[in-house]
This record gives sequence, structure tokens and C-alpha cells, in this order.
Amino acid sequence: MLFDPTTDLEVSRLMRASPDQIWRCWTDPALFAQWWAPRPVVTRDVVIDLRPGGRFASVMDVPDHGEMRGEGCFLDVEHGRRIVWTDMMEAGWRPARTEIFGFTAIVTLTPEAGGTRYVARAMHRTREVAARHEAMGFHDGWGTVAAQLEDLAAGLAVAP
Amino acid sequence: MSLHDPDLSLIFQALADPTRRAMLARLLEGPAPVGALAGPTGLALPTVMRHLGVMEAAGLIETRKEGRSRFCRLRAETLRATEGWLAGQRALWEARTDRLEALALALEAEDAVRPDNGS
Repeated sequence: MLFDPTTDLEVSRLMRASPDQIWRCWTDPALFAQWWAPRPVVTRDVVIDLRPGGRFASVMDVPDHGEMRGEGCFLDVEHGRRIVWTDMMEAGWRPARTEIFGFTAIVTLTPEAGGTRYVARAMHRTREVAARHEAMGFHDGWGTVAAQLEDLAAGLAVAP
Repeated sequence: MSLHDPDLSLIFQALADPTRRAMLARLLEGPAPVGALAGPTGLALPTVMRHLGVMEAAGLIETRKEGRSRFCRLRAETLRATEGWLAGQRALWEARTDRLEALALALEAEDAVRPDNGS
């Protein structure tokens, strides 16, 4: 799997929690809703049909933006070890019928040093497509941190 | 301190914390002594120094001693490395991973206190 630094990102973290515990946080809808989006965004109606072709969906209530619906499909599930999904398909591998960001994400959990090596890789479509979506005001609804960064960057721009 | 490409992982881990973001926001107005940064947080000095250490390691700030005070200054060039859509996505994933880890650890601690014996 080639890594394209212009469209892909990878987060790798050695966590002290066990793979089982992290898997539980990931796959139990009630727990998932607690960490997926930052406060004050509320994540609800989480559907995690954990099998290839299964539905992966949620609704996020974003203050000042309204409701953001996320719809996707699991491509591969290796219990306790690996989750692969995309927003380019809906449940049952049906091509997406709604506006999409265009990504495939791979999360792997590997026991390491009494904890877990957690690696999340997100592969996006071309930079141009993503940038156009951004220009169109396409929001994925998770953007509190990104928005705060933008505020910081905007502050920099006007700073003397 | 050597010049190097900014390490986005370190930068976003540093930015994932609201206390540190508040300190950075203050530093956007100009350099400030540690005391001025610590005041509004209400945190103990060692905690404040730890936060500053994280930001200094990420290259977001630099500090220098001036008389009896330590002054902090924003390194704007590092913050600029976080601009752009992919960096924004990365920020989401870093922060999300922080929250996942915190929840998993909290649950593990709960399990240790109240083991489910299943009776």
C-alpha cells in the first residue's frame, strides 16, 4: 500500500489501553458517540454493522451548522485487529448517493509493550477534489479543532 | 535548537489541548512572561511548565530567560505548517485519537475498580 503524502495521512500512537478496550470503544455505538466528535458536537444515531458491506453511519449535531449525516460502508473487519471503511459506498457496497468527502480509512490495533499500537490511516481523493469541497463549504462536522486552528491561523495573518 | 521540518504529530498533539491553545492565543498578541500565561489558567506552575514544554518540543513556541523571568514567544512559522486541508484532516484524526485513548483508559480503570465477575 503506497503512501501518498499529498492525499494520505497517518496517525500512529502507542496507547496504554488494551486492544480489547480500544476495540470496545470503537465498535460499541454508545461508546463510539463519546469520542468520535469533539464537544460541543453531539454524535447520535450511530449504526455500526460490523461486517464487510455493513453500514457505518452517524448523525452529528454541530452548533451553528446544524445536522451532519455521515454514511459509509465497512470494507473489511478483522475482529479486534482491523477496520476498513469508506464513505464512497453505502451499506451493501452500493455507490454513495449523497455528497461525500471521498476517503478510505484503515484502523489497525496491534498489541505492543503491554498496550496497543493504534494506527489510523486515511486516504483521500485528489487534493483538488478535497479543496473544491472545502471551497463549496462542505463540512464533515468534526471540525472544531480545525476551526480553532483556522482561527489561530487567521489571528496570525492579522498579527503585526 | 536545530532547524528542521515541523513534526505535524507533535504539533497537533500540542494543539489538541484547550489550555495550550489558550496560551497560544495569548502569544499571538506578542511575547509574554510565563507568569502572564499561567495567570488565566489557574494551574500550578509545574503544570504550566509542562504545557509549555510540550509546545516548545513541537516548535510552536520558544522560551528565553530574561533576568528573573522566562519569556515565551510564538514561532509563527510552525503554526503555518498546520494550514491546508490535509493538515486540517490530520488535526481531526489526532484529536479524535486522543479522545479514544482517554475513553479506553477511563474504562480500563473502571473495570479494575469494579471487576465484572458475572456471578
